Amino acid sequence: MELTINGQQYTVADEPARPLLYVLRDELGLTGTKFGCGAGICGACTVHVNGKATRSCQTMLATVAGAQITTIEGLADGERLHPVQQAFLELQTPQCGWCMSGQMMTAAALLAENPNPTHEEMIAAMRYNYCRCGAYARIARAVMRAAELMKEGAV
Amino acid sequence: MKRDARTQRWRMTRRGFLIGLGIVGGGLALGATLGLPAARLALADWLDGAGFPASMPKDPEIWFAIQPDGRVVMAMPKVEMGQGVHTALAQLAAEELGVAWEQISVTQSSSIGPVRDPAGTNASFSVMGLFPVIRETAATLREMLRAAGAEQLGIAQAEIEQGFVIDPANPARRIGFGELAAQRREWQAPEEAAPLTPPDRWRMIGQPVPRLDLPAKVRGAAIYGYDARVEGMLYGAVARPPRLGAKLRRAAPGTALSRPGVVQVVIRDGFAGVVAESRLTAYAALNDLELEWELPPPFTHQDLEERLAAQAGSGTPIQQHGDATGALRGGQVIEATYRTPLAAHANLEPQAALVDVQPDRVRAWVSTQSPVQVASSIAATLGRSADTVEVTPTYLGGGFGRKLLITAANEAAILSAATGKPVHVGWTRTEEFRHSYLRPPTYAAFRAALDGQGNIIALEQRHASGNVLFDFIPAPLRWVFGSDFGAWRGARLVYNIPNLLVTSQTVELPVPTGPWRGLGLLANVFAVESFIDELAHAAGSDPLEFRLRHLPDSELGQRLRTTLLAVAEMAGWGQPAPAGRARGIACSVDMHTVAAHVAEVGYEGDKLRVYRVWAAVDPGLAINPNGLAAQTEGGIMMGLSATLFEQVTISEGRIDAGNFDRYPLLTIADAPEVAVQILRSGDQPFGGGEPPMGPIAAAVNNALFALTGERKRQLPLG
Repeated sequence: MELTINGQQYTVADEPARPLLYVLRDELGLTGTKFGCGAGICGACTVHVNGKATRSCQTMLATVAGAQITTIEGLADGERLHPVQQAFLELQTPQCGWCMSGQMMTAAALLAENPNPTHEEMIAAMRYNYCRCGAYARIARAVMRAAELMKEGAV
Repeated sequence: MKRDARTQRWRMTRRGFLIGLGIVGGGLALGATLGLPAARLALADWLDGAGFPASMPKDPEIWFAIQPDGRVVMAMPKVEMGQGVHTALAQLAAEELGVAWEQISVTQSSSIGPVRDPAGTNASFSVMGLFPVIRETAATLREMLRAAGAEQLGIAQAEIEQGFVIDPANPARRIGFGELAAQRREWQAPEEAAPLTPPDRWRMIGQPVPRLDLPAKVRGAAIYGYDARVEGMLYGAVARPPRLGAKLRRAAPGTALSRPGVVQVVIRDGFAGVVAESRLTAYAALNDLELEWELPPPFTHQDLEERLAAQAGSGTPIQQHGDATGALRGGQVIEATYRTPLAAHANLEPQAALVDVQPDRVRAWVSTQSPVQVASSIAATLGRSADTVEVTPTYLGGGFGRKLLITAANEAAILSAATGKPVHVGWTRTEEFRHSYLRPPTYAAFRAALDGQGNIIALEQRHASGNVLFDFIPAPLRWVFGSDFGAWRGARLVYNIPNLLVTSQTVELPVPTGPWRGLGLLANVFAVESFIDELAHAAGSDPLEFRLRHLPDSELGQRLRTTLLAVAEMAGWGQPAPAGRARGIACSVDMHTVAAHVAEVGYEGDKLRVYRVWAAVDPGLAINPNGLAAQTEGGIMMGLSATLFEQVTISEGRIDAGNFDRYPLLTIADAPEVAVQILRSGDQPFGGGEPPMGPIAAAVNNALFALTGERKRQLPLG
């Protein structure tokens, strides 16, 4: 079956009951998307499916055939970082970094839908992504900073 | 440097992980002259005061490679698990080399080199221990380059600036490090130790430079052990016992080999595993195996806690002056008992290793804090000599002490040896929860008495814990120490108390326990600093003032005073908290770093909320203040998660939590505002990764008491 990931076509074995996460990581070499719990709880495996933040460990291939899938590797525009990546870098947000692909994909989906979130809306969107290093204070600031960067970029 | 120079052989004295031969020898000798109890006390004093020796080569050609374009590549002995250590250590090198920050980059050393590090990355010791080593080594290289450059320029005295050797009489005459290093010449190390840059001229040390690893991390391009991939690799999965301590009595492949994608079933003594073309297939095939387990008697976590309480009275003295037991006889005694539960590391990257066993050599890529130990462990598993095994550590998706021993590496080695192919083993979350070592439960029984002025006249603490470091050291050494010094980290009191006795008992438990970020620090400071708060209230004193007046008249006492006063000022201590909220204070000393926290708590409905935390930290000297602030913020959040929510429970000999649904972590919605102030008390850095989290559980607990008037004595609080 055909998958569209970061604008590129991939052909993978026609086993529709496999979770997307394992195909990304173990077959296509897109290891930027992380395994954390395998149960849709921690958020480390978050990707975009048609722009929506989606847990790839709970997403069977059958449900994403024909969809536009974006992973962390496709978030930047070539060399130019996405505003969320810029903000996470600017505020020196990641520690170990394992959860950060999921954090940034969740944040990018939020800001695409709501470019001007309140603090409460930001927390509501980000609260299902664990960070064991405890970078939460910086994550919160970085998401709000990314919203500012997007506005500056749009002008 | 010339490439061939880097092949130079060197041997390092094996004084690594926690116990050096010098310490052990000293302990035994002390035991002979002082008697065992006194020797154990002396060892406890030494461990608490001295820190551990850093034994590292100081040969610049091992540490640094200068490329023709002038870039300096530093061979990094320590692993990057989010603590920013690569950046901090590179700052030390850039400082003394006299290069621009942009000129330096790092490469990870493996278990065999270039800079072999038997100590591993642990104990908040990387920056503290390598501070002299890296600066001296880099300064030596700088002087070698200076001498070579001066000779080339035909001058007696040359200056160094931004990677150039410069003629001070005519700064246009200059030669770059890259050009010098590319020349074939006899390199001479200076006979005298190269001078170190004095603190007033530091341009890199103390600067919040951006982390070297973050550009890759924001792109998802950083490679961790779970991500390690090579051509032709397979995936492994290993059968797990249904109960802790169960032994595999009999195993057979069952129907596993008929499942498409299964390559091999590997059964050997006590081990059954599957190798397959994909991870999903390998794990699915575990259900096809026929397995018979020999089950030990079942137990619960309550059984373990009772065992601690029953044995706490018979511990080894770890701090003693005056006669606490005598002073507590008769008179009014304040008593309290504190407990903390088993807890998990919950590193978000489960343990993982890729191992390629070939006839003549073994290569492994492992998410580990201890590549040298993992190499030895793989070698022992395969019955090979350790020098044929090379373990390259990757980035770590969380370490927290969990990645000192990597069972997955031994498992991947067994499976790779059986198939002749590289095999990756990456544990599931359920394996990580149910088959890892845990933070042990602790128990601390206190008795204390106050004098007429409300000062502590006597205090006794009987502490008990499961193993933290004892599983890492041989039995004779455990006997020398008497109690597990990792378990009692943070249990010794920092206050001036005329009659004081702290004992610690190490209790064998039927569940694997080991180091968790800070070892005993969070649990023990929770107990000690909560009890000190009880005494302050019993004395009718303000908890800050009570602490200040019990500080010793020493340099450490002065640092504690400064840090406590700093956090008090940040938090507006003494002014009322907002309505419905209250504040608590606590402090700790760990790896010579002083930390003090104020927490502000309240209830939202029946849910305990921590709204704000103020933290003052004196690490001596922060090499990278923004990095230390991040460690402080993160340590507080991880500590809060443990304080409010975390507890591993066991039923019928099995850990209940198989995933985060039964072991929830702190989320961004629970996270307080955190304000951090980094203090400087000298020109020497102390521990940074663990010490700043020390006071958080006690600060929250003391705030909760201030709010409710009811004292809690057991974690979790939420």
